[in-house]
Amino acid sequence: MKFKKFAVCACALAMAASMVTGCGNKEKKAATASKAAANAAEKWPSKPITFIVTHGAGGDTDYNARVLARLLEKELKQPVVVNNVTGANGSIAMTQYKDGKNDGYTFIATNTVAMASNEATGITKFGYTAFEPVCIYGKQCGENILVRKDAPYNTLKEFIEASKQNPGKLKLGIAMGGSSYVAALIMEQKGGAKFAVVDAGDGGDRMTALIGGHVDATIAPYTLAKEYIEKGQLKTLATLISERSKTLPNIPTAKESGIEDLTVDTWYGILAPKGTNPAIVEKLNAAILKIVKENPEYKAEVEKYDFQAPWALNVADTKTYLDKQRNHFMDYSKYLTSAKKKK
Amino acid sequence: MDSAVINGIMSVITNPHVLLFIWLGTFIGIVFGAIPGLTATMAIVMFLPMTYTMSSIEGISTLVALYIGGISGGLVSAILLNIPGTPSSIATCFDGRPLAVKGEAGKALGVGVVFSFLGTIFGLIMLVAISPVLASMAIKFGPFEYCALAVFALSLVVTLTGRDMVKGFIGAFLGVMLATAGLAPVDSVQRFTFDFTEMNNGFALLTLLIGLFAVTEIIAAAEEVRSAKPFTIEDNVKIKGFGFSWAEFISQKFNALRSAVIGLVIGILPGIGGAISCVLAYTMAKNQSKYPEKFGTGIIDGVVASETANNAGIGGAMIPLLTLGIPGDAATAMLLGGLMVHQVAPGPLIFEKSGVVVYGVFMAMFISAIAQLVLQMWGMRIFINVLKVPKYYLLPIIMLLCVVGAFGNSNRLFDVWCVLIFGIMGYAMIKDKIATIPMILGFILGPIFETNLRRAIQHAQVSPTETFNHPIAIGFVVVTIVVLVYSIIQHRREVARLEAEEAAGAAKQ
Repeated sequence: MKFKKFAVCACALAMAASMVTGCGNKEKKAATASKAAANAAEKWPSKPITFIVTHGAGGDTDYNARVLARLLEKELKQPVVVNNVTGANGSIAMTQYKDGKNDGYTFIATNTVAMASNEATGITKFGYTAFEPVCIYGKQCGENILVRKDAPYNTLKEFIEASKQNPGKLKLGIAMGGSSYVAALIMEQKGGAKFAVVDAGDGGDRMTALIGGHVDATIAPYTLAKEYIEKGQLKTLATLISERSKTLPNIPTAKESGIEDLTVDTWYGILAPKGTNPAIVEKLNAAILKIVKENPEYKAEVEKYDFQAPWALNVADTKTYLDKQRNHFMDYSKYLTSAKKKK
Repeated sequence: MDSAVINGIMSVITNPHVLLFIWLGTFIGIVFGAIPGLTATMAIVMFLPMTYTMSSIEGISTLVALYIGGISGGLVSAILLNIPGTPSSIATCFDGRPLAVKGEAGKALGVGVVFSFLGTIFGLIMLVAISPVLASMAIKFGPFEYCALAVFALSLVVTLTGRDMVKGFIGAFLGVMLATAGLAPVDSVQRFTFDFTEMNNGFALLTLLIGLFAVTEIIAAAEEVRSAKPFTIEDNVKIKGFGFSWAEFISQKFNALRSAVIGLVIGILPGIGGAISCVLAYTMAKNQSKYPEKFGTGIIDGVVASETANNAGIGGAMIPLLTLGIPGDAATAMLLGGLMVHQVAPGPLIFEKSGVVVYGVFMAMFISAIAQLVLQMWGMRIFINVLKVPKYYLLPIIMLLCVVGAFGNSNRLFDVWCVLIFGIMGYAMIKDKIATIPMILGFILGPIFETNLRRAIQHAQVSPTETFNHPIAIGFVVVTIVVLVYSIIQHRREVARLEAEEAAGAAKQ
């Protein structure tokens, strides 16, 4: 019993002592902090880096992140480990890691549309400003507006016209809250289209719905639709990226049909948790730019898999593009969030 | 076309690397499947990145081998520990465990392994022979059909409720309610998230499964340790040959065929999954059997139904994957990623463009099925010694593996907490004699029902008479009503009979 009391007292003293030393000298720390930051950036990377991918293994976000990680390993001479933390269109990972360890060894790999639409629909209460953006390192080959081969329209304009003449009859299958929904909203608001917008699940489900005749049109990434377009079962009316893709120059953009605002560019980005040393951010950005712009293996990979042409931005441009996209989506957020409240 | 077939087959048989990967993949798959908490999907997720740098046929063969091994491995822990190794083996516990308790674990394992093999082969034959036909039928399933199918499957809960039907329904509705937590389908409204971002994704099926089966088992065993009851350790650990006789094998032919068809159909329909197919097959076997009251006491029919169905589902899930590019379940969703990385583009042109790889994959599946049979038959004799290990050593290790598996699901501690909470909830349910199976069914089918109901309503808003254009959906609803009425009547009779027997027995004393 005596020993127990002694032990408890000793533990309490130890805890108190550690608290005192823990709440150490703040001023001294600040002075050494900036020096330490500069040192850290020079030595970076000195241990393995982790990429947290916000979407599931096998998808395009994950694939791009893994290709980049693999080639970064060779460039930075440190292992780059990829972990998937999935759920809720990436919002779970983003919320978990935005305020996480910002020592420059944990980064978040995501797609920018997910981040922007999460903020616009209200799933998250933050956007790209909650992070230190590192790099936008790729763009998707484009979401396409697809219809079946036997549909009587060949351009987006014809399709929207048809919807105006039969208001509420043509079914457009989308995923509510996602980029396809934002595109449908823009068509409605700025193009005057009068589709009957129905939820049809994510990419693969939307394709089945279209092929099976349950919807009249849908919006899906080109990579999912490619086989059907080749076989002649589906045709694409337009692509939603802002300029014609270098690898698919025959597909007109939706913008060309006259609706200036109808663009959804899916970019792949690396973000760092808030407060990460800017020098480290620049260093990583430089390494990524080198790989994307100069590495032939990277070029071959992304072209093969995803019809992507290599494309990456420096830190300043990354922030500009992210800001533009966020504003674009937030313009429609009143429709996205009020749509939820109505129900 | 023929040259593609020959080339495809040769590319697998003559390449020692591929053969090695298939055997290795099947083995690892079985291990993942057998350990509760680790599933086939997890195995594929873990090994997918490794396959990026392999050649196409090597990579895809490894992935399908992992898949086949994973689905087949679940029966091991289901029978030996009463904990399903993967969601697809839930129904194997119902009769597998009683068989083990009776001292017939060897028979249960043998039956499970052999019929898993037969189920895989059945699915594979359907995949090779008539996949385009089946795929075109699968596309016809839209929101109306899925909604009706979910209602039909939910109605089968009645058959599985045991004696107290009300408690069975309570379990099922609790399951449906648990599934509503998280972001709502269609409009992503946050439900029951309490502003806690971890909850945005809702609860994971795996955590519910581990909690309800594994943790409750452990708590129940812990209870046993404290009581004065002598601790039972199974002794019958010898297996002769396959473990069961030729006569028993033949007696199962209709059961196996019916279960294989059910498994195939559920596999083809994207989004439903192995858990439903094994439970459905079990329920149908019970309903159509001459001795339904014996189900649950330890007869091989239950194990046969469950295992044939979940393995036939493999071939089934590959059909929409290859011909449409639509994954049938979580594991095939990973496979889709694997296929696309290796430039095999699933879709209508797959046989023309990637014929060699596709036929190679078929061959790989066939070899993997054989590998699974051989490995598990041989491994059976080793696995069964697990029963000899005293529970107070075994179950803590299992608990550890379950926690690892729960964490591995999405790299979040939240899932681990869920496992513990569900375990305590499950224990409370068992104490109150609320069956846990209806809860799992409700949890899986609730979202399918709700998502598709809401989509169907959206479609109906466009054209109000739409509902009548869907004969398949209407058919399901009619069948559901018939089955429900019939089951309730049967159930009432059964309960009355049991009560009469007990009253007679009590009167005699």
